[in-house]
Amino acid sequence: MVSTSAPGSAPGLDAAAGLDLQASFETLLQGVGLSAGTAHLLWLPLPMLLVLVAAVVGVLVNVWLERKISAAVQQRIGPEYAGALGVLQPLADGLKLVFKEDIIPARADSLLFTLGPVLVLIPVILSWLVVPFGQNLLISNVGVGIFLWIALSSIQPIGLLMSGYASNNKYSLLGGLRAAAQSISYEIPLALAVLAVVMMSNSLSTVDIVNQQTGAGILSWNIWRQPVGFVIFWICALAECERLPFDLPEAEEELVAGYQTEYAGMKFALFYLGSYINLVLSALLVSVLYLGGWGFPLPVEWLAGWLGQPIDAPAVQVITASVGIVMTVLKAYLLVFLAILLRWTTPRVRIDQLLDLGWKFLLPIALVNLLVTAGLKLAFPAFFGG
Amino acid sequence: MFGFLKKVGDYTRDAAGAAQYMTQGLAVTFDHLRRRPVTVQYPYEKLIPSERYRGRIHYELDKCISCEVCVRVCPINLPVVDWVMNKETKKKELRNYSIDFGVCIFCGNCVEYCPTNCLSMTEEYELAAFDRHSLNYDNVALGRLPTSVTSDPAVHPLRELVYLPKGEIDPHVVPDSEPRAGRLPEQVLETLPKAEPPAAAPPANPDEKG
Amino acid sequence: MTIASTTQQICFAVLSTTVVAGALGVVLLPNVVYAAFLLAGVFLSVAGLYLMLNASFVAAAQVLVYVGAVNVLILFAIMLVNKREDLAAIPGLGLRRLLSGLVCGGLFVLLIRVAFTTPWGSGPEPVGEEATIRIGEHLFSDYLLPFELASVLLLMAMIGAIVLARRDVFSQDIGTGEEVDQGLIEKARTPLLLDRSAR
Repeated sequence: MVSTSAPGSAPGLDAAAGLDLQASFETLLQGVGLSAGTAHLLWLPLPMLLVLVAAVVGVLVNVWLERKISAAVQQRIGPEYAGALGVLQPLADGLKLVFKEDIIPARADSLLFTLGPVLVLIPVILSWLVVPFGQNLLISNVGVGIFLWIALSSIQPIGLLMSGYASNNKYSLLGGLRAAAQSISYEIPLALAVLAVVMMSNSLSTVDIVNQQTGAGILSWNIWRQPVGFVIFWICALAECERLPFDLPEAEEELVAGYQTEYAGMKFALFYLGSYINLVLSALLVSVLYLGGWGFPLPVEWLAGWLGQPIDAPAVQVITASVGIVMTVLKAYLLVFLAILLRWTTPRVRIDQLLDLGWKFLLPIALVNLLVTAGLKLAFPAFFGG
Repeated sequence: MFGFLKKVGDYTRDAAGAAQYMTQGLAVTFDHLRRRPVTVQYPYEKLIPSERYRGRIHYELDKCISCEVCVRVCPINLPVVDWVMNKETKKKELRNYSIDFGVCIFCGNCVEYCPTNCLSMTEEYELAAFDRHSLNYDNVALGRLPTSVTSDPAVHPLRELVYLPKGEIDPHVVPDSEPRAGRLPEQVLETLPKAEPPAAAPPANPDEKG
Repeated sequence: MTIASTTQQICFAVLSTTVVAGALGVVLLPNVVYAAFLLAGVFLSVAGLYLMLNASFVAAAQVLVYVGAVNVLILFAIMLVNKREDLAAIPGLGLRRLLSGLVCGGLFVLLIRVAFTTPWGSGPEPVGEEATIRIGEHLFSDYLLPFELASVLLLMAMIGAIVLARRDVFSQDIGTGEEVDQGLIEKARTPLLLDRSAR
């Protein structure tokens, strides 16, 4: 995706640690008699497809969780009859949206109206490029890693403005403008919080950020070194995802549904999908940046040593990789749970409170956090990444 | 300098306060997660309507004397009493009687004032129809007995809050044999000390007592 | 690797076509909103070109700054002052157009000439992933002064914007010279949280 020469560099970097599925897949294909180039070409779409499927399944799980947890908080039962415990409900919702009529309002700008939701969804899906589920279990270990995510998520407001403008509806326009304003305001403290983490790990790459948090299990996670940064990042991530305390762009009491007002069917589903993929993505990135990514609360090396197994034995490798994936997903969904609980705990803020919080509270605190991190890094290089 | 420090202190206190309030709120919502659902799974479970429930009106044609009191006390003169005067017997002959439940507000005035008690309120409330004209019930439809929630084998009847034992709020976990909170009027009467019949007054009607 | 070079050529063709067509659209389209959206497309394609040059940090920065900030602000400005008014006919429009066309054409010819006469060597080796570190080193050593000057410039612009936006510092409107209605000026709002310092 990023450059045609980059993906091949992964095995060379850390062939010693972790599984290398790519190398084994390509040797397998070359053993069958294919050329190296063809084998590589066959490999390329596989991780992307896998991650795309993972993202969509993650959204389905997320929607189900959202409905079930919301129901539990409000002492209801929630979806119950579509599959066991209603697990097929998100699928049914999706099917309904697919088969609904695709309506473009008569006075709307049909080109921009169609392009808007696409522009909202694509950057979110592209950002999955840098989410690691294990040492080599990511699409591309790009050097700019986390910065790529910040840059890509800044494209989203354009799509929101586009759909808000193209709907030819005052609520849509207001919702789009609010979404863009909110998105820009919270990007800055978000980037500053990420910057503090990056400063400690000396790298923008998500894999390096996680590797810097391994060693002492749960004690080496960034959340202990960056508690303020964690809170800032999480608040900003909620604001970027337009989750409830900050869901002004689609505040139904004031703006009908904001920029989504005129949308129906598949185009609405794109917005819906985008917002949920974004939530899962933000939760995954919080777990990568602050909760040790794929790291188990106890260091896997200790466990392997305790069991008397060499860490690079194939069976141990497979188990470690599976535990890594499970841990990443578990941490992410713990945060999703927190987000859903917050949704039913906090009332929506006003637009002036939202901007006050972003510019007058989070921004100075994020700056101070960055400064303190830099100072601590100079003072205690052993603990804060020398 | 100190003004600035005070501002920073206020700022920190505000932030700590916000965190505290947020934690309190989260504790409340988290606590709700472990509580049982309070909802009634409607088509499968139904609440037993209360004793004075004002549902669909039941009507007995045989008892009706076509006096039209119900029409007069109705806020919108809703009941239609279709009668003709039979010249020979000099009596009203009732042909049809109907109430449109699409318009009725279930105030119960007609039931209250009916001299022959041919109107009564039932516990039936499932009146949904595809066509509003089918809500216009004639004397045959009005004469049908209501389906009872407790006698329907497909429905799990649930007691309302008032009919549950003291301290219970969830009807799902209370067995049917548990008595309701408080006492019924006749139970109250039983506990009262029996009034001494006045000795002087002769018992007018010994059968009529209690 | 032939597959890689073919992909690269296809990508380059697509990106450069988008840049040229988009830029022409920005200039020529009468609808200013379309022009602004096309500008975002042009910026994105330029970021794609940077990616092809193995400069991923510059590409991400291009997306973040130009698409995420500059272009969104342009769109904001357009949408907040979206008055549909017909522009008054300017006298001598044909002559103006002819003149600007001549200037643009001359510049274009000059650029073409430069492009064809410059001996394009292979240039320095691309640093790739190390670019981030290299940029940081340069920004804090030999490019420190321009970097700091740029930040001072931005600070000045920000202060200027705040002064212009805060109407209460002026007693009369800068644009029209009318007296400012002091009732319209925002009062200090109640704080987000309960003020407990009084108690």
